[in-house]
This record gives sequence, structure tokens and C-alpha cells, in this order.
Amino acid sequence: MHLKAEQLSLSHGEWTLSADGVFGQGVHLVTGPVGSGKTTLASALAGIFEPASGRITHEGISRLSLSMQFPEYHVTGFLVKDEIRSWHLPVTETLQKTGLTGRQDRKTLTLSRGELKRLHLTCLLGSPWDAVILDEPFAGLDCMEKRRVCTAIEEKTHPITIIFTHEQAVLPAADVIWEIEGNALVCRGRVPEAIPAWKGAPQYLTRALEEGARPENIRLQDATEALCRMHA
Amino acid sequence: MIHAQNLHHRSLEIKSLHIEPGHTAIIGKNGSGKTTFLKLCAGIELPHHGTLTISGREPRAVHTGWVGEVPDNNLVFRTVADEVASGLRFQRTPADAIGPAVSAVLSEMEILHLCSRTSHTLSGGETVMVACAAALALSPELLILDETDTHLDRNAAGKLETIIRRRPAPCILQCTQDMDTAARADRVVYFAGGRPLYVGTPDEVFSHLSETEMYPSLWRIAGCI
Repeated sequence: MHLKAEQLSLSHGEWTLSADGVFGQGVHLVTGPVGSGKTTLASALAGIFEPASGRITHEGISRLSLSMQFPEYHVTGFLVKDEIRSWHLPVTETLQKTGLTGRQDRKTLTLSRGELKRLHLTCLLGSPWDAVILDEPFAGLDCMEKRRVCTAIEEKTHPITIIFTHEQAVLPAADVIWEIEGNALVCRGRVPEAIPAWKGAPQYLTRALEEGARPENIRLQDATEALCRMHA
Repeated sequence: MIHAQNLHHRSLEIKSLHIEPGHTAIIGKNGSGKTTFLKLCAGIELPHHGTLTISGREPRAVHTGWVGEVPDNNLVFRTVADEVASGLRFQRTPADAIGPAVSAVLSEMEILHLCSRTSHTLSGGETVMVACAAALALSPELLILDETDTHLDRNAAGKLETIIRRRPAPCILQCTQDMDTAARADRVVYFAGGRPLYVGTPDEVFSHLSETEMYPSLWRIAGCI
């Protein structure tokens, strides 16, 4: 099972992005500067942005979902309970998981932005997909919720998870790191070997590397454990 | 500078809160009342009960720059140049001074290359940077940034932080979910359940949060070195 970008070229006016690579089973993290084309690439991989050339193939994937950066774009239910039912999920249990118990009759779009993002991600990650593409899933979430989303991703309920983010503090354990650099998608490789080459690594990770630590993954706890091992 | 007394508004309940000029980080869980407090400070909403004043004045009498959490909602005009110029036009700035002022603020933000771009072609992060430029062009007394850094990569967030450290406004309220950013502010207000539970320097506030996910990651790393 994989999602493959073959000699892909994406363009907006004079701006272009090229991408070539295979997203196999596991958690993939894609980072890149502001305006580098993360959202465009996420949309293209999900099939809602037409590439200028090249192609995207989905091998063994029959159910794919894209989580867009802004949760408002996903809302279809007027009330919170309608929104949950639209995902074919149980209302009470989903509200509990989201921390919104008792708010089933609230108008969906009156939730705070963070609450709406929580609801959307709980529904999306609670549904059976072969592949999920998450565009800035941590934007608008507090630290505890980011950790909860990371835990859900690490459970690997979905065979392929591709995360586009510039989150710098709370990240899930990842299998492969990609970066957008100089208008091209570059694969840094598998974790942990890819970590030293990752230019957009969070500061806590670069700080740990500077100290000579070799974290086994990219989470803060991996960095602190590696430092503690050094000083043990 | 900002003073709230017996304030009750939606889920917000503030008995007394005083915020000095400088850079204040507003932190807390989703739904804790952070954005509601910022909207009251900006005069976007009026309190149901109690008072909130900024330098002794009603919030709507204060010259405030606001950059909200949804980037798309921040831009109204067709091009970046028009967006940044719009506030200056409303202020009746002389026409020949507007162009240089727009270029100056875009240069300061290092986004002069976006000047002729149409707003709808910008990425989320670029939109935030343009919205900040438009707010700063007006030299506000109070600058409010509501989770704007959530859409920025490390370099762009660093640029924004550098600008904030130059003190473009006497008072800056920055709501953030990046605790490393909050740890570099002059002071921090931690909201929980609609109340400002901890108020003080970053050291004082984060000493209450050391066992939680909210403790700054760089402090956590420093503790292991």
C-alpha cells in the first residue's frame, strides 16, 4: 500500500513545486517554510489540486481523507450532534473523547476554533481510512490536545499518515521525514537516521543534537531521554 | 495599562487584572477565554458586566492593531499593497506618504516581494505576515496577536518575534500555544476556566505548570543538560 508522486509539478502562476517520492505505510512528516507549497502538495496528494504535469497514484488505497488547515471548511452539521453523525460516529462517545460532553445541541460554528479543530480531528481520526493527509493538524490546539492527537496518530489506526506541519513543540513519533526546499520535495529519510539532516527540526531537537545526543525519534521526550542517557 | 475589574462576559470572569505595558503572552487551554478577553481588549465585543480600560480609556477609544487567528479573515483588499495601505487611507494619511510607508513596513517584515500579490494567492503564513504588516503600518498603541504564530514556520515566527522585541506598540498582547515564545515575553497570563489563574513573569507562571505539557520545551531540554 502506498501513495506515489511521479515527476509531479505543481504551479500557481510563476510559482512551481516539484515532487517525486513514495509515501509507504507509516507516519510521514512534511515540513517547509511559509509559502513553500505544503498545502498545495497536500491538496494534490489528496486529488483536489490538479498538477501541471506528472501523476499521483494510490496503490491499495481505497479510502483517503484530507484534513484541511481550517476546520470550518469541514463542517456540514448545524449542531454538534449533526456534525458527529455526519461522520457516522456515536455522539456521546465522540463528545467524551473530544472533551465536549453535554454540548451536543450547541451550534457547531459557535465552538471556539480550538474546540472545532478538536471535534474535527476526533471525527476524522476515529474513522477508518487507508490514508490520512493532515494539513497543519496542530494549528489552533492547546498543548494537551496536541499530545492527544499525537497519541491517536501513533496508534497507527490508519496505515498511511502524512502530516504537513511547522509545529515546533509537540510532535508524534514519525517514520519518515520530508522537507520542501528550493521548490522541491526532498526526502530526508527514515527516523532516526534522518534527524541530523532535518533543517526544519524543532529547536529542542537541534539543541539536543548540539549537545551530542542521538534521539531515537523526534518527540520532546525522545530528546530529553537521549540527553538523560548521555548523562547517566 | 490594561485594567479589568469585576468583568463578566460570556465564559469570562475576571475579578481584577492589571497588565503593564510591554509584551504579554496570553496562554491557556482551548476554550479557556483567551480570545474572548482579547476581543474585549480590542473593543470588538463590549463586556456584559464590569469594566475594562486601556490607559484609562474605553477600548474603542484606543488605537489598536488586531491580527486574528483565522488568516483568511484578516485580509479584505485585493492586493497586499492595498491591504497594508488601507488603514493609512482611512487615517487620511497624505497620498504621497502612503507608498513609502507601505514599502517600509513590508521591508521590515521582509515580505516586500509579496507587495503586488493578490491576497487570495497567499499561503496561510504569508497572510498572517501581511496582516501583521497592515496592523503595524498604523503604529498602534495596542497590538493584539491571536495565535498568529500557529501558521508560521520557525523562521517566520522568529522574524515576527524580532519585530515584537523592537516594541512597535507600547503594549502587545500575544495569545500563543507556543510556550517557548511565551517564555520569552515580559510577562504571562495563564487563563483557565475563563479566569486569569496565574499572572506574572514567565518564571513565576511556568513554575506552576512544570508538570504539564505547557512547560516550555527549551526549558525542559535545558533541565536535562
